[in-house]
Amino acid sequence: MKNLNRYGYFFIAPFWLVFLVFSIYPVALTFYYSFTNYTGSGEAQLVGLANYKRLLTDTYFVEAFFNTWKIWGVNFALQMGLALILAMIFSDMRVKLKGIAFFRAIFYLPNLITISSVALLFGILLDWQHGSLNMMLMKLGIISDPINWLNEPTSAQLSISLILTWMWFGHSFIVVMAGVSGISKDYYEAALIDGANRWQTFSKITIPLLKPILLYIMITSLIGGLQLFDLPMLLTDGIGSPDGSLNTMVLYLYNQAFKYNNYGYAAAVAYGLFVITLIFSAFIFKGMYGKERKQPRQV
Amino acid sequence: MFLVAILLVGLFAGCSSDSKTSGNGKKDVDLRIWSFTDELKKPIKTFEEKNGVKVELTIVPIADYPTKLKPVLESGVGAPDVFTGEIAFLKQWVDAGYWENLSEKPYNADKLSDKYVPYVFDLGKDKDGNVRALSWQTTPGGIYYKRSIAKEVLGTDDPTQVGEMMSSMDKVFEVAEKMKAKGYSMFPDEGAIRWFTQGDNPQPWVNDKNELQLTEEKMEYMDYSKKLRDNQYTALAPEWSPSWFEGMDKPIKVKEGGKEKETQVFSYVLPTWGLHSVLKTNVKESVGDWAVTSGPSPYFWGGTWLGVYNKSDNKELAYKFVKMMTQDDEFLTSWSKETGDVLSYLPVTDSIKDDFSDKFLGGQNNYQFFLDQSTKITPGIVTKYDQQLDTLYGNAVQQYVTGKKSKKEAIKEFYQKAQNAYPDIKVPKK
Repeated sequence: MKNLNRYGYFFIAPFWLVFLVFSIYPVALTFYYSFTNYTGSGEAQLVGLANYKRLLTDTYFVEAFFNTWKIWGVNFALQMGLALILAMIFSDMRVKLKGIAFFRAIFYLPNLITISSVALLFGILLDWQHGSLNMMLMKLGIISDPINWLNEPTSAQLSISLILTWMWFGHSFIVVMAGVSGISKDYYEAALIDGANRWQTFSKITIPLLKPILLYIMITSLIGGLQLFDLPMLLTDGIGSPDGSLNTMVLYLYNQAFKYNNYGYAAAVAYGLFVITLIFSAFIFKGMYGKERKQPRQV
Repeated sequence: MFLVAILLVGLFAGCSSDSKTSGNGKKDVDLRIWSFTDELKKPIKTFEEKNGVKVELTIVPIADYPTKLKPVLESGVGAPDVFTGEIAFLKQWVDAGYWENLSEKPYNADKLSDKYVPYVFDLGKDKDGNVRALSWQTTPGGIYYKRSIAKEVLGTDDPTQVGEMMSSMDKVFEVAEKMKAKGYSMFPDEGAIRWFTQGDNPQPWVNDKNELQLTEEKMEYMDYSKKLRDNQYTALAPEWSPSWFEGMDKPIKVKEGGKEKETQVFSYVLPTWGLHSVLKTNVKESVGDWAVTSGPSPYFWGGTWLGVYNKSDNKELAYKFVKMMTQDDEFLTSWSKETGDVLSYLPVTDSIKDDFSDKFLGGQNNYQFFLDQSTKITPGIVTKYDQQLDTLYGNAVQQYVTGKKSKKEAIKEFYQKAQNAYPDIKVPKK
């Protein structure tokens, strides 16, 4: 009988081996490096907590923290707003829109384009002298001089937020729709009979029942958002221009490690990022589920 | 247990078949070379035919090249016998000890010192003066300009005379003013003059005492850049942007101060390779209407070096390849004639430099010109910090040019960022 039980471990062994070699080992090694002054070659010397001390007083890291939040926050608000409005329209029993599969595919498409192509595309659209956006605005007489979108901190950050929204609202929409279709039609029918309007149906039935789905979207988006790197890297010069406004946490980490060869410090930045992600995930989790537990369930 | 064995074999199958082709001491390949362009393909073919060996070339795009090569060199697993290095990380690598010390026996590369363009040979040395890498080429720069515009505005298209008219920054601005008066743009954008930042006082970014040096000349460059922008001497086409390429062949539109105008770009600041891989590949209509001349100060841009991996078990053959690439009269002569690449190996250049002429440049002997330029370059001012500090400083200049920051603020921020990137260097506290 004992032998039988062992087979389970054998079956999960391949996964664990890969996981140990490619995930746990690098994570542990990074932790070790964060206490050293490793430069990418040669020996690593232990420097104690020096890297973490520097991290806490590093204005560029703080700047990166707020930049990341600003860019992610605007993007998330827009993306969720758009996804919910669309979900509301498509799930409305009174409207009964057709062609949902078609729209779903269209909305999701931007997500399938590789980031470098997206960056190239928007780089050309937003170009200062010859970009389509400026040309259009000038033809319409809205502006008289072209705006250098990617050279102004605010517009550069906003550009990234909007691009992210464009890329991800379709994904959120699909997940929300999946959640909506899981809600029993009875509630909506009852609401309809009771004379609830669209907004009431949406805010009193759909949203509360979607909570777990919304939580899921929020946490995955947050984790992805805090790791924002590729667009800021590709859209401007790769070190956070204009005026450090696109300097995100992972971009900062990358530059410290691979451009300036401060691998030890970059490892500390990575752990700083890990702690930040952990704290915020915990907050969201508590915020969404914490209250519910206090209220006894009514039967 | 059997099942597990199968699963594990499947798991590591990828790894093991990999190491068979790239591991050390296997029979199928005699020499492994890593580089970041396909430039070496032809030389490798010649080398294979000459020596009856098989060479495997691995090309890794430049953006990933250092990150991919480093772990391989550190561990020695699947490492190349010969690998190239680009100027951007050359200084780091000569000191990292991956390249065999060529100053020692049996290579004795020190003896070759007077056979090369001085700055090229010097760049291949580590901090103790040992030769670690050699190069076949030299990559000095100049200013490529359009002859027809020069004739119209400056009254001559002769490279020497035009070069004389641009021999200092003040003179460059005189030419720029003349260009503007006739509706031409001096440069595509203000970034073009960054190669002349050193002025007549070339200093390394970081000196022997580990101090960051921002010379007066480099600070003046900020003002020059701003002047180019403020006086509308450029076509506002940043390097490598679509309009930058377009401006080479035809007029481009510029929107400035509420007005739109069409302008032709007079000149591009590019090095040797700019002729073959940038201008020639993008210019169709104005072929033959170009010429190259010198700017306010000599400079070089880019370059590829190569050396032998110090843990290679086939060093003899590896050096044979390096030797062919850098010292073989016969090979280098044909290579140079075929590609137009300006060589750094003087015995060969001396014999071929006189009868070179390029149709694209209206028959000008650019070979002679670039060789003259390359000997004027001060050796010993390249540091491992250059690539990043140039970027950071360029960033500061941009802030000043676009009016986001005052000169003082921009310099202060540059100092802070430099210190942040390199905590070990001493930065002026201003």
